[in-house]
Amino acid sequence: MRKHIMRRMIAAGIVAVLLLAASACSLDVIGNGSVTAFEQVLNAMTDRVDYDEAGASWSLSAPDGSARFVWSGNWSASEFDAMLAVDAEPFLSAGLNPNLLSEGCVYQDGILMVGRNLGNDGTEADSPLSAYRLIVQNSRSAVSYHMAMDHFGVNVGFGMFEWAKDMAANDKDIVFVLDPEPLLAAGVDPNAVEGWVFGEVEVHQNGKQVKVEKFLKPFDLT
Amino acid sequence: MESRILSVRGMTCAACAQRIEKVVTRLPGVQQASVNLASEKLFVQYDEGATLDAIKEAVRKIGYEVAERAECTTVSIPIGGMTCAACAQRIEKVLRRLEGVVEATVNFATEKATVTYDPQTVRQSAIKAAIEKLGYQPLEIAKKDAAEEDRARKQKQIRSQWMKFIVAAAFALPLLYIAMAPMISFVRLPFPGWLDPMQFPLVYGLTELLLVIPILCVGNRFYTVGFKALIQRSPNMDSLIAIGTTAAFVYSTWNVFQIAGGNFAAVDALYFESAGVIIALILLGKTLEAISKGKTGEAIKKLMGLAPKTAIILQNGTEQEIPIEEVEIGDIIVVKPGGKIPVDGTVIEGHTAIDESMLTGESMPVDKKAGDPVYAASLNTTGTIRFRAERIGSDTALAQIIKLVEDAQGSKAPIAKLADVVSGYFVPIVCLIALVAGVAWYVGTQDISFALTIFISVLVIACPCALGLATPTAIMVGTGKGAEYGILIKGGEALETAHKIDTIVFDKTGTITEGRPTVTDLLTAKGVPADELLRLAASAEMGSEHPLGQAIVQSARQKGIELEQAGGFDSITGQGIRAEIGGKTVLAGNRKLMDEQSIDLAELEGHSDRLAEEGKTPMFVAVDGKLAGIIAVADVVKQSSKAAIEALHKMGIQVAMITGDNRRTADAIAKQVGIDRVLAEVLPQDKSDEVKKLQAEGRKVAMVGDGINDAPALAQADIGIAIGSGTDVAMESADIVLMKNDLMDVPTAIELSKQTIRNIKENLFWAFGYNVIGIPIAAGVLHLFGGPLLNPIFAAAAMSLSSVSVLTNALRLKRFKPHRERRAAQ
Repeated sequence: MRKHIMRRMIAAGIVAVLLLAASACSLDVIGNGSVTAFEQVLNAMTDRVDYDEAGASWSLSAPDGSARFVWSGNWSASEFDAMLAVDAEPFLSAGLNPNLLSEGCVYQDGILMVGRNLGNDGTEADSPLSAYRLIVQNSRSAVSYHMAMDHFGVNVGFGMFEWAKDMAANDKDIVFVLDPEPLLAAGVDPNAVEGWVFGEVEVHQNGKQVKVEKFLKPFDLT
Repeated sequence: MESRILSVRGMTCAACAQRIEKVVTRLPGVQQASVNLASEKLFVQYDEGATLDAIKEAVRKIGYEVAERAECTTVSIPIGGMTCAACAQRIEKVLRRLEGVVEATVNFATEKATVTYDPQTVRQSAIKAAIEKLGYQPLEIAKKDAAEEDRARKQKQIRSQWMKFIVAAAFALPLLYIAMAPMISFVRLPFPGWLDPMQFPLVYGLTELLLVIPILCVGNRFYTVGFKALIQRSPNMDSLIAIGTTAAFVYSTWNVFQIAGGNFAAVDALYFESAGVIIALILLGKTLEAISKGKTGEAIKKLMGLAPKTAIILQNGTEQEIPIEEVEIGDIIVVKPGGKIPVDGTVIEGHTAIDESMLTGESMPVDKKAGDPVYAASLNTTGTIRFRAERIGSDTALAQIIKLVEDAQGSKAPIAKLADVVSGYFVPIVCLIALVAGVAWYVGTQDISFALTIFISVLVIACPCALGLATPTAIMVGTGKGAEYGILIKGGEALETAHKIDTIVFDKTGTITEGRPTVTDLLTAKGVPADELLRLAASAEMGSEHPLGQAIVQSARQKGIELEQAGGFDSITGQGIRAEIGGKTVLAGNRKLMDEQSIDLAELEGHSDRLAEEGKTPMFVAVDGKLAGIIAVADVVKQSSKAAIEALHKMGIQVAMITGDNRRTADAIAKQVGIDRVLAEVLPQDKSDEVKKLQAEGRKVAMVGDGINDAPALAQADIGIAIGSGTDVAMESADIVLMKNDLMDVPTAIELSKQTIRNIKENLFWAFGYNVIGIPIAAGVLHLFGGPLLNPIFAAAAMSLSSVSVLTNALRLKRFKPHRERRAAQ
């Protein structure tokens, strides 16, 4: 029995290793899927994608211009390699005290920025998509999948930029997400922020679906 | 009508056994088919309408391996003197032509002849002689014993089971960890980032898939047998496991494809760990079962180990040590002090004491002299003896005891048959419940994952594998334990009936009493000398085999009285004898004989009443129509009789005594030992009628006798118990054979039977209990009211635990001790 079973297992193991080796790059379905979906977003918003030469970064602006997702094309050239830059006015009106903002949140010239440093890789990306690919390749943990909304997302520290896996099937094609904790700590009244939805969102934590509160600004592009 | 015992491999539960029985019984020509799951044997009885090959084929067709229990023996004989392959061929040809040789293969390279032969037809010595005749030298013989093969096979099976479990566990543990670790929120268990199901769902799914495949490989038997049984509309335990784990595996694999296709939410619907851990846990249960089964069969192994391997025979005046297999009937065997008796026989020279405790449990060595029987495996203590071999190999008392115990262990108690019937319906019903519960929950929740969990849990928790073990394991241990104490119970049915006994009937002579009556009183009529009375009575009784007659003959011989040959001897059943001695007509017998022959007893009648009241049997002797005297014969009551009857009373059993003796004598004996009911003056041919009368009162009756003279009564009784006899006749006619001449073994046998039946009932409770409680929980009944669900993994653990519980409980019977030993220990 032993030889018989061992032979089968060895055969199965070899097949498995070969399969894994052959398809190693295609096993990251979330990473690869996020690139495909992001490309679709970029294609749908070509007029809203800009390049900042000074910061060597690309940005994607919301249709109403109230928020931007910025991602670096050269991580060695920027402090925040991925960030959200949003109009601070609604938050200021809701009681935001910029002096009370914590690290990772910056208020400057009427703009509230939340972002994070993803590394010091000096690779230069020559397109917005390849710049995004840098995030998938070099800081994969920053990319995630939001099951409840069927969105991919980039973690920018105290916030997320999310986009639909399938824009045709989703009524929220892009979403700007801000964590409430630093804002509330800085004096914001969550129910007084205009233009942002303060509500519960289902996220996957420890194998369970749990509800957490976020500031949300969704947009339907189609 | 032919009977065969076939070894069947591959059975896993009572449903398998029942299926085989059903299929075989349906074959034309088959009269009876009975399967014992624990010993893996099929007993089949068939007439000319069936063939053994057809029966074997029918069993194979439904997915089990079958081999006929070897009646033949296979030996491997090294041969010297061969010079080329032609020599080997020549030997082969000659051996195959010997009558009784089934197959012979001679290998020139290894210089060995492998011969399969029927030992009833041809002896090993004849095979060796045939080889020698050709001019070659047969060397030492290695014999493959069927029992040895069986033991080796069982050991191999245990090792194989362990290996399967270890492999399964080695993959199941990481699989379980991967599945559970991300879900445990109160403690952060180390978990590799590349396996995060939310980040790398496809890697996660494929990893689980790769881990579960080896587990399914080692558990492949569940699928090959289980699906086959399902297809043939006889689902068994394997079918339940196969359906449940296959559903989990297929659904999970489908979801892996879903993940690869972009449906990442499918990562929450993977159940590979359920399939893998279920298989691993059940393999653990099976391994423990195999080990425990080996332990339950220890009694047989112990008995088999008793026989010595060699014997010293006298050949041409010189002593020669030979392998025991080469001993033949008629050989003169020498046994020195400390040696074991190799075969059964009769002492022809010497005097010794033999320890027969390993066979009978009797601790005192038994004196043996010329003319006394000796038995294989008993131990010679003091003197050197020579005895003639009379029974060898499978004919020895030891071999017969082993066979009896083996057959008993392979037999089925009625309660086991009931369990088989129940389990036969159980599996299809469970499949239905699982399906209904799964569909109902899907309709109610629209959650296929939840419905699948319910479906798998019901199938797994309902596995009736423990049910098939509940009875045979207890019977194996119980009968094995009995054998240790010299109590041979012939089958599960005997065991089950014995515990219901409420009345025991003892034969008097040789059972309640020692069976060695002696003359105690000689009362003569006027003018008749005592010696003359004895001479005439003894001469008349010389032709009689009755113990009372023999006692009179013995007494006369002891006194040196010369006896005369009787003419015209006539035995009158139930009354006495008539014989012609020296021209005189002598009558010797009871009052009935005297009354019928119109002999006047007035002179000594008062004495006869007195003697009877003293518990003695008065034998009237009349010569030529006139009373000559009374010879009183008394048989001493056994030391253990009173204690044994007291013990039976404590169990609530009524005790009766049956005897051909007169009422007064019988009453006197009965009073001595505490008998409740006396059936006296019963003719031998009427004993079975008396048993029948008791049964007609609605009693469950056991009859205890010596097995030789009481055969009809033993057969009529619900349980026949032969005491103090290892003879063929006793073993044939009785349901229980007590090897020692100790009446205390009767309450011990009843006690053992009660404890075994209680054990069986406990086992059935454990086996059914898990199922009965588990099925509703697994089906989600409690969950409807907010209660818990049964995770498939916990269901598998509980199911394995039920098998282990049953086996552990059965092994508790090994601690059984007869009442007297418990008291002695206190």
